[in-house]
Amino acid sequence: MTALAVESLSVRYGAVDAVRGLSLEVRSGQIVGLIGPNGAGKSSTLHAIMGSAPIVSGDVRLDGRSVVGQRPEDVARRGIALVPEGRRIFGELTVEENLRLGLAARRKQRNGGGIERAYELFPMLREYRSRHAGVLSGGQQQQLAIGRALVADPEVLLLDEPSLGLAPKIVDVVFEALTRIRDGGLAVLLVEQRAQRTVALADESHVLANGDLRLTLGPKDAGDTDQLVAAYLA
Amino acid sequence: MNQARRLPELLAPVLLVLATALLGLEVSPYLQTYFLDTLVKVAIVVALYVFIGNSGVLSFGTISFVALGAWTAGVLTVPEGQKKITMPGLSHFLLSHNVGNVASLVLAAGAGAVFALAVGLPLMRLSGLAAGIATFAVLGITYNVLTYEQRIGPGLNSFSGVPQTTGMWQAAIGALICVVAAYAYQRTRFGRMLRATREDHAAAAAAGISTYRQRLLAFTLSGALAGLAGGLWVHLLPLQVGGLYLTLTFITLAMLVVGGSGSLLGAVVGTLALNGIYSFFTAATNTVDVLGWHLKVPAGTAEMVLGVLMAAVLILRPAGITGSREFSLPRRRRPVADLEKARATT
Amino acid sequence: MILAFLNITWPVFADALALGGIFALMAVGIGLVFGVLRLVNFAYGQLMMAGAFALAYGDQWGLPNWLSILFCFGVVLVLSVLLDHLVFRPLRMHSPAVMLVATFAVAFVLQNIALIAWGSFGKTAGSLGVWQAPWDIHGVYIRKIAIIAIVTAAVCLVLLQLLLTRTPVGLHMRAASMDFRTARLLGVRANRVIGGAVLISGLLAGVAAVMLSVEQPQITSTWALPETIYVLMGVVLGGLNRPIPATLGGFSIGFAFGLLGGILPSSQSQYLPSFIFAAVIVVLLVRPNGLFTRGAAPVERV
Repeated sequence: MTALAVESLSVRYGAVDAVRGLSLEVRSGQIVGLIGPNGAGKSSTLHAIMGSAPIVSGDVRLDGRSVVGQRPEDVARRGIALVPEGRRIFGELTVEENLRLGLAARRKQRNGGGIERAYELFPMLREYRSRHAGVLSGGQQQQLAIGRALVADPEVLLLDEPSLGLAPKIVDVVFEALTRIRDGGLAVLLVEQRAQRTVALADESHVLANGDLRLTLGPKDAGDTDQLVAAYLA
Repeated sequence: MNQARRLPELLAPVLLVLATALLGLEVSPYLQTYFLDTLVKVAIVVALYVFIGNSGVLSFGTISFVALGAWTAGVLTVPEGQKKITMPGLSHFLLSHNVGNVASLVLAAGAGAVFALAVGLPLMRLSGLAAGIATFAVLGITYNVLTYEQRIGPGLNSFSGVPQTTGMWQAAIGALICVVAAYAYQRTRFGRMLRATREDHAAAAAAGISTYRQRLLAFTLSGALAGLAGGLWVHLLPLQVGGLYLTLTFITLAMLVVGGSGSLLGAVVGTLALNGIYSFFTAATNTVDVLGWHLKVPAGTAEMVLGVLMAAVLILRPAGITGSREFSLPRRRRPVADLEKARATT
Repeated sequence: MILAFLNITWPVFADALALGGIFALMAVGIGLVFGVLRLVNFAYGQLMMAGAFALAYGDQWGLPNWLSILFCFGVVLVLSVLLDHLVFRPLRMHSPAVMLVATFAVAFVLQNIALIAWGSFGKTAGSLGVWQAPWDIHGVYIRKIAIIAIVTAAVCLVLLQLLLTRTPVGLHMRAASMDFRTARLLGVRANRVIGGAVLISGLLAGVAAVMLSVEQPQITSTWALPETIYVLMGVVLGGLNRPIPATLGGFSIGFAFGLLGGILPSSQSQYLPSFIFAAVIVVLLVRPNGLFTRGAAPVERV
C-alpha cells in the first residue's frame, strides 16, 4: 500500500530551482533511498514534504490525501515524521524531554509508538533518560533523533543524512534499526550521501542530481559503481 | 560620465532643502520656526541615515551626538557674564572660554565625531539586536550624565542665553552640508564598501572588506553631522536635555523609516513630510485654522500620528515612501540591456 | 548583622527585595515573548500602564479591589493579544532589530494615546494604597506591599517554573525558544506556543502593574517606562535567551536600585543608571553568544 506519493514535485528558492518534477513512491514496510551529490535537492525534497520548503508545483500525498500547503506541525500530526539533518536535538533538555516532544505529533487514535517504543528500539536511551541530551555522542544523538520521530507513531519516516559524521560501526547500528523500523510496517524515505550502503540497504534507491531524478537502482546494483558515478556526474 | 548621470541623486535632496528654506523665508515669523526646525531635523535624520542606511545596522545612539554637539556649541557661546549666573557649576575652563558662531559649530561637529569614534571603537563589532541595545545604552548614559553633570552644561535646565544665530540661511547651509557630505560619502569607495556589507556580509568579507572599519568610519561621520545639527539647534532654541532623549530618537527614527532608510532622498523626504505633519499637529494643540475650520487637538496627537505612520510603514511598506531608492530620471530604453534580461530568464 | 554593618535596615532590605520581585516578573514577561518570537517588547511598560489605568477606573467607579484587579488583567490581556496580532505577527519575518524599532514605535503610540486621553496629570489608582501601611514585625515596620510583592513574585515564579518544566505546553515553549523550526517539525503548534507566551506575558504584566501601582499610584502616560528600560537592561545583563538568567538579571537590577536608592544619598545614586547601561555594553561585547543565539545559530559578529 502506497503510504507516501510524491508527484512531479518542483521546489524553488527565489530564483533557484532546487527540485524539478520529482516523482517517487514509498510503500508501507519499504525503505526507499534518495541519494545524490551535494546540492542535488535531496534535503529540499524532504522539507517540501514537511511543508517547510516552497513548492511551486506538484503534489505530495499521504495515504492518497494531499498534504501540500499545510503547516509543518500539521504535516507532522498527519503522520509524517522527519529526522532532520544534523539531528537537531535539544541539547538543553533531557533525553526524556526530547522524546516527550515527539508526542506533540501523536494522533489520539494511535496506540502504538510512545516513549517506550523509542526505548525498546534504542535501549541506550533509557540509561540516559535524565541526562541532558547535549552530553550524548553523535551516534547516540542520532538514535535519540530517530527515537523522537517514532514516538508519534508515524506512518512515514523521513531521514535526512543520518549517517553524517558517524563512524561506520555506529552507522551499522542506525541502519539496522531502520531495518527493524521498516519491518514494523513504516514507510521509510532515506536521504543519504553514502551511496553504496544506501543502495544495499534500501528496497529501491533513486539518484537525484541537480534537482532531477536520474536513475533508479535496486540492492543488486550496490556493487556497480560505474552506473552510480555516471548518474552522479551526468 | 557616470558622475553626471548620478547628479540628480544629489540635486533632488538639495533642491528640496533649498525649496524649504526659500518657502520659509516667505512665511510669517510664527511659521518660520517650524521651517527652521525642519531644516535642523533634516540635518539630524541625514546624520542618522549616514550610518543606519549605509550599514543596515540599527543605532539608537545618534541623538547623544546631537546632544553633545548642542552642549559644546551652547556652553562655549553663552556670554560669560550669563554663564556665571545660569550655569554656576560649570568648570573653570568652560566658564572662561568662548568662541564665535562658526567656531562653535565646527567644535560641535568635532565633539560629535570624537564621541562617536570613542563609542564606535568597541561597539562597531556588534550587529542586529545587540547593536540596537548597546547604542540605546549609550543614549541612556549620555542622558543621565548630561542631566546631572553641572560642570559641563546646564544639567536639567534649558540652555538660556545662547546667541540665536541659526536663521534660515544658517539652518539651510547646515542641512546642505549634511546632505552633501552624506552624498559624497556614499559615492566614495568607503560608502560602497559599507553598502556591500549590508547586502551580503559573507561575500563582502570574502572580498576583503573590513566591516568593522567601514562601520566605524560611517559612525564617526554620522557623529560629526549629528554634532553639527546639535550646534545648529542650540543656536535656534533654548534646548533642554529631556528633548534630546527618547522622544527625539523616536521622531527622527520615524522620519527615516517612513521616508525610506536606505536612501538619502528617503531621509530628506521623510523628514520634510513627517515634520510637516508633526508641526501641524503640534501647532494644532493651540488651535489652528484649516480651511476656515478651527482645529484643536490635545497634546500628544503629533507623536501618536507619527508612531502610527511609522508602525504602518514597517508593517506594510518597510522600504518607506521612496522605496529606499535615490532619485533618478527615467532611463531611455536600451536594446542591449533588454536582450540580456531576456536571455537570463531561460 | 551584615545588614547593620552596611547601614541597611530591614525595611529598606524588604523594599529592595520587593522591587526586585516586581522587576523579576517583568523580566520573565519580556523574556518569554523574546524566547518564542525573538521580539524585545519595548512596549511592555505601556501594557502595564494600560492595566494601571484600568485600576484607576476601578477606583473611580468604586469597584471592590478584586474586581478592579480582574479588570486590570482583562485590559492587559486584550491589549497584549491585539498587539500580537496587529504588530508582532506581521513583523515576524523581519530581524529582531526591526522588531525592536516597531515595538519602540508602538510604545510611543500607546504613551501618547494615554496622554491624549488622560492628559499629563493622568489618573490616580489609590484604592490599593492601604498596602502602603506597614506591618509591625517584632518592632520592625515593613510595608505591607513589600511582603505582598515578594510573596506574589515568588509564587508566580514557582508556578511558572512548574508550568515550564512539568507540562507539555511548557515543554513546547521551551523547545520553541531553543529551535522553533525543529519544534514545529515535531508537531509543536507555533500559534499555540506564541499565543501561550503572549498570554502568560500579559498576566505577568498585570501582576506587576498591580504591585507597582501601590508604589506609584499616580498613573501617567510614562508610567512604568523607566522601569521597563531598566528591566530590559537587566534582562540583557542576565541573559535574554534563557528564562532563569533573565529573571535573575531583572531581579538584580530591581534589588540594586532598591538597595542603593535606599542607602546612598541621592548625589551618589544619580549616576546609577549610567553604571547599569555601561555594564550592559560590557556584557554585550564580552558575552554576546549567551544572549542572542537562536538554537545553534551563531550571533552576528563582525
